Amino acid sequence: MSSDRYYATIQGTEYVIEITSETSVTINGTIRTVDYQTLKRQSSCSLLVDGKLYEPIVYQENGGWEVLIGSGRYIVQVEDERERRLRLATGETSYQPGRYILTSPMPGLVIDIPVKEGDQVSEGDVLVILESMKMQNELRAPRDGTISRIHAKVNGNVERKESLLVLE
Amino acid sequence: MATSRFNPSPMFKKILIANRGEIAVRVIRSCREMGISTVAVFSDADRHSLHVRYADEAYHLGPPKASESYLLIEKIIKIALASGADAIHPGYGFLAERADFSQACQDNGITFIGPKSSSITAMGNKQMARNTVRNAGVPVIPGTDGHGDLSDQSLLEIAPEIGFPLLIKPSAGGGGKGMREVRNLEEMPGLLAVSRREAESSFGDGNIYLEKLIQGARHIEIQILADQHGNVIHLGERECSLQRRHQKILEEAPSPFIGDDQEMRDRMGAIAVQAARSVDYINAGTIEFLVDKDRNFYFLEMNTRLQVEHPVTEAVTGIDIVKEQIRIAAGEQLSYQQKDINITGWAMECRVNAEDPFRDFIPSTGTISHSLIPAGPGVRVDTGVYSGFEISPYYDALISKVIVHGETRDKTITRMKRVLNEYRLIGIRTNIPLHLALLDNPSFLSGDFDTQFIEDEILLESETSFDAALAEIAALAAVLATNQHDQQSAVVISRSKRDLSNWKLAGRREQTES
Repeated sequence: MSSDRYYATIQGTEYVIEITSETSVTINGTIRTVDYQTLKRQSSCSLLVDGKLYEPIVYQENGGWEVLIGSGRYIVQVEDERERRLRLATGETSYQPGRYILTSPMPGLVIDIPVKEGDQVSEGDVLVILESMKMQNELRAPRDGTISRIHAKVNGNVERKESLLVLE
Repeated sequence: MATSRFNPSPMFKKILIANRGEIAVRVIRSCREMGISTVAVFSDADRHSLHVRYADEAYHLGPPKASESYLLIEKIIKIALASGADAIHPGYGFLAERADFSQACQDNGITFIGPKSSSITAMGNKQMARNTVRNAGVPVIPGTDGHGDLSDQSLLEIAPEIGFPLLIKPSAGGGGKGMREVRNLEEMPGLLAVSRREAESSFGDGNIYLEKLIQGARHIEIQILADQHGNVIHLGERECSLQRRHQKILEEAPSPFIGDDQEMRDRMGAIAVQAARSVDYINAGTIEFLVDKDRNFYFLEMNTRLQVEHPVTEAVTGIDIVKEQIRIAAGEQLSYQQKDINITGWAMECRVNAEDPFRDFIPSTGTISHSLIPAGPGVRVDTGVYSGFEISPYYDALISKVIVHGETRDKTITRMKRVLNEYRLIGIRTNIPLHLALLDNPSFLSGDFDTQFIEDEILLESETSFDAALAEIAALAAVLATNQHDQQSAVVISRSKRDLSNWKLAGRREQTES
């Protein structure tokens, strides 16, 4: 088997982390003693690093990891040796979205869709107004583009992660 | 105690709580301590809610949507009558500020634990309330007074007279729903539409009015108690300036802005009592004021019900406001006179909402897989959720209130940080990171903030919140999670290997493809 070496990236900073045994890792070459316990669900864990205790909340999101510690949030991309080789071989640097699918971040009721198919929109434009937990939430365009498809219907109920419309 | 042996008031035997979640649990607790049995009501989404599990009796209302369950006046009255409840506590939200509900209770011989229907009407319509208290000599914010229900057209005409920025506010309801800030005439038509729509869907009343936006304002409110014998007292102030989208986030008592200014505190208290008297108010209520930089204060509105943030007042006064509400409704005299009210130490409440502070505060739903409620000295947690409970999208995002009490503001803040760091609510996202950022903010620590503060200053995504040492821990946590993930899938793969090697698999694939 390949070594348990991983490459973690946070905001452009890379951490080379190797799991050397059940109780030790190296982070960028520095040896650390760790005791990693997952509690109930994987998103909650208790982590001892050289005797210091941390309880980060770890979510798997969009192919990466989202780690919450106190008031801070860290988006972490993790690759193992093989994934890294593959990525470097294909010359891919980062994920470039050609189309953006707006999905419902929560279950709710579609109150309004102030755009129609074929519309040119700019970053920040309101695309869908969704009501959930008694609040109206404006879902906005993350970038400029053209609305190619609208799946949602006004007054329709949508589930979490349901596709609402497509931005090309 | 004011209750006299010679004129005993008939205390209630059974109270129906026409609400859900943490506030229903809160009311049940006081009832229990008073020896009163409790009746809960629940929608299809709430059979497992704590308020149902803590009650003596519980009856089903209907589908999850509030309009088909918790807002059904007739059905709730019917349940109260059938179960033999002699009083109804409405909590906050839902039917708490509905004059017709108070009236329906009265018509059916059930005591409504709250003000008379006429006081709710007088204060419930925000425009009418402004006129009433102004006539009683209470200062109000400049706005569309005496214009009645206005069309978009007339609001657009009046707006420049009031001046920008201004606020669009629904005549009915509260809690910031339907409220919109307007910076100029151009953006106003769109905002009027959004505001009316939200007001219509939240309160069933799309009427709106305008009020001048006082910049740099603080939101400070006074808790009052009024009995049926003409006694009205106040329990000091609560500082409620820390808001997001006009929803309170963190409240404290006393207010760091009023501080040692006892003269101002007394004056606000006296005006609050005066405002309550102007509508013959009975029971617990809250007068909300906006306070400008020069310490002028203006009447904002009166909440004719128990407030979400009432526990901070309970902490600094030692008074159980819900028990007082019940005693008042039963016809007893107030247990306290104004001179008995002493403010001890400092209290703070953080509202824990099921929402993602890193994704524009979108509501978060799902099952709570793990709940670890903080405890220890000076801590109170009011919640309706627990491990295994499912947060549904039908109701308010407020799932828990963390209240701490300490000797001074500084000690209370330190305690709150300790407590929130202990709190684990896994399975859904919460705004606890926002609270932690707030509790570390220098302006917050010095007591220097206004109602815009959270939106303007607390930016969780900013580079400044990046901590290099913690980033390394985050990287490690993500790697360990990945590794665990890999190992778990490896177990599955190796199991199948025993029966079928990859070579065999490849061979089969070739056969089927050819």
